[in-house]
Amino acid sequence: MSLRTDPRFKAAGKEIGRAVAALAVALLVTFVVVLLTSQDPIKAFGTLLTAPFSSMRTTGLWIDEVAKLTLTGLAFALVFQARQFSMGVQGQVYVGALFATFIALSPLGATLLALPLGILVAMLAGAAYGFIPGYAKARFGANEIVSSLMLNYLAIKVVNYLIRAHLAPTGTGQLMTEKFPAQSIFPALLPNTRFDLGIVIAVLSVAAVWFLLYRTRWGLKLRLVGHNARFAEYAGIPSSLTMISAMTAAGAIGGLLGAVYVHGRAFGRLAIDFDGNLAFEGILVAIVARDRPLVVPIVALFYGYLRQGAQLMAIRSDVPSEVISIVQAIIILLVASSFTIPGKAFWVRLFRFGPARTVEAAGK
Amino acid sequence: MTELLITVFSATFFVTVIRTSTPLLFATLGGLISDLSGALNVALEGMMLISALTAVIVSVHAPWYVAVLAGFAAGGVLGALMGFFHLRLKADIILVGFAVNILAAGGTVFALSLATGGDKGTSINLVSKAIPTIDLPFLAAIPGIGPLLHSLLSGHSALSWLAILSVFGIWYFLYRTPPGLWLRGVGEYPAAPEAAGIPVAKVRFWSLVASGLLAGLGGVQLAMFNYVGFTRDMTAGRGFIALGAVLLGARHPIGAMWAALLFGVFDALSIVMPNLFSWIPAELIQSIPFLVTIIALILFSLRAQRARRVAAPLRSADT
Repeated sequence: MSLRTDPRFKAAGKEIGRAVAALAVALLVTFVVVLLTSQDPIKAFGTLLTAPFSSMRTTGLWIDEVAKLTLTGLAFALVFQARQFSMGVQGQVYVGALFATFIALSPLGATLLALPLGILVAMLAGAAYGFIPGYAKARFGANEIVSSLMLNYLAIKVVNYLIRAHLAPTGTGQLMTEKFPAQSIFPALLPNTRFDLGIVIAVLSVAAVWFLLYRTRWGLKLRLVGHNARFAEYAGIPSSLTMISAMTAAGAIGGLLGAVYVHGRAFGRLAIDFDGNLAFEGILVAIVARDRPLVVPIVALFYGYLRQGAQLMAIRSDVPSEVISIVQAIIILLVASSFTIPGKAFWVRLFRFGPARTVEAAGK
Repeated sequence: MTELLITVFSATFFVTVIRTSTPLLFATLGGLISDLSGALNVALEGMMLISALTAVIVSVHAPWYVAVLAGFAAGGVLGALMGFFHLRLKADIILVGFAVNILAAGGTVFALSLATGGDKGTSINLVSKAIPTIDLPFLAAIPGIGPLLHSLLSGHSALSWLAILSVFGIWYFLYRTPPGLWLRGVGEYPAAPEAAGIPVAKVRFWSLVASGLLAGLGGVQLAMFNYVGFTRDMTAGRGFIALGAVLLGARHPIGAMWAALLFGVFDALSIVMPNLFSWIPAELIQSIPFLVTIIALILFSLRAQRARRVAAPLRSADT
């Protein structure tokens, strides 16, 4: 069978087309917004599109974000594959980062054990935090969206408090901890950039999640439960157990991201509100990647580019970086909907309300 | 401790509770309507935020009631947007809801920096006109209980009274009118109203619009009465707490009112506690409403699960 006729490739091609079209629409709308609000729209928009490549340093910033977006995207993809809408990645990142910091600031932090132990502890803490909404749903039927969001707020408040009152050096009024010892910070892969172990961890995680989902019995069960929980029950798969384990595993990835944050060269310490809402944006990465782990890093690459571009645009021009939220919202709306690359049929469908309506209007 | 008790049982605390409960109550009622129609509206947070900003910006140029209407309408427009993407373009309602939330979180900061002249600072805020309070001086003239009644019932926002009216209005609509029955039917078992010729998609669309309108009022109350001004992320999770309150209120308008009041009490406590117990860190006091929501959600789900178990033999196997 040639590539052209293989239905799998045809479907993939269609998906890619949709994603690219959604991106194009989003960028077009953003361009109009920038045009209307900026003093120098061409420069601002140009910065958004080209800035990450403008220097070695900015490229490093971009790759650093790609690693982090990949991890949060993986965590979301894993729970979405089980059809759970657990939004708890952000909370898990904070809890994971906190526990990794405990290791880094303890006497162990200056030994060779610091990094492996920090990562392990962060993953365990994240997994425990991911377990809570899963257990609450399976055992009590508590809605996982609400409980996981509440746990996010809780984790952020508590971690910020601990940093401010206990972990920051006393008397300085700083809202961050001391810099970790060198053994607790990822080594740089390229000197003087943020190319560090984070990207390696992200790539390994992609492979691990792919393997778990598509090459193990657990992954098959998880995908079955996600596809049709009732069918899975009839086939003898305990859906609630699978659900809990999916949320716990995603929690471990969230915790891992927390460790990558604090051990990474970008921080090397724990600071309040450190994630800049990035942990939550994995939702976009997972949706555009259609929850497929191997596609997650590709989406993260593109989205991280835009995200970095927006931040640099905010520094170098008069447009605030929040303009990127327009791109995010439009991409989610278009990719999640049955939107197709607009052909004639699309526009007809968009502006025609079904025949039922005219009949009804006539009836009144 | 006695200080806390004295504070909690004072008339001013009651007034504070009503003030903090009002935005929650509007949002909860909004969540309730869309939930009953079978569409979980996770965008309450974003709708409140955008309505709050809209109201504040309009209030700079127009009288307060125009600003209230503008915020109200902004919520409705967002509801219609969600309905369009969910019902016509078949997008998952939860993903659509989070798209609205993301747009709100970033978009309001973006708009705020434009409105304040390109300031990219994070702590900027925009001052608003306020919703007037309703004073009832005649209550004080009642002999005996008059002064107490006056101190309890006077000085609330006009929207607080509207919120109470909405509770009973929505109750009447849902349980005493045919469209209310349709709405509940569409949420309960869409195939039946479909077969009876009720336009299911249309009912859901209008419940999303109503949901947005109500959440919009919640945002307006927050920005034009509780704080009188807009700051970034000022809703601080209230939209999500409202989602919990819908469930805690047993998906009933009267229950929604009690749930909103309960969360309002904890919100009010987090306002008065820093003055009484300066040794408790602010972050921990602020996290009380979130903790209470989780606990309440679990306790309520447990109760609902028991009720389902009792009712299970009576109903067919239904998840």
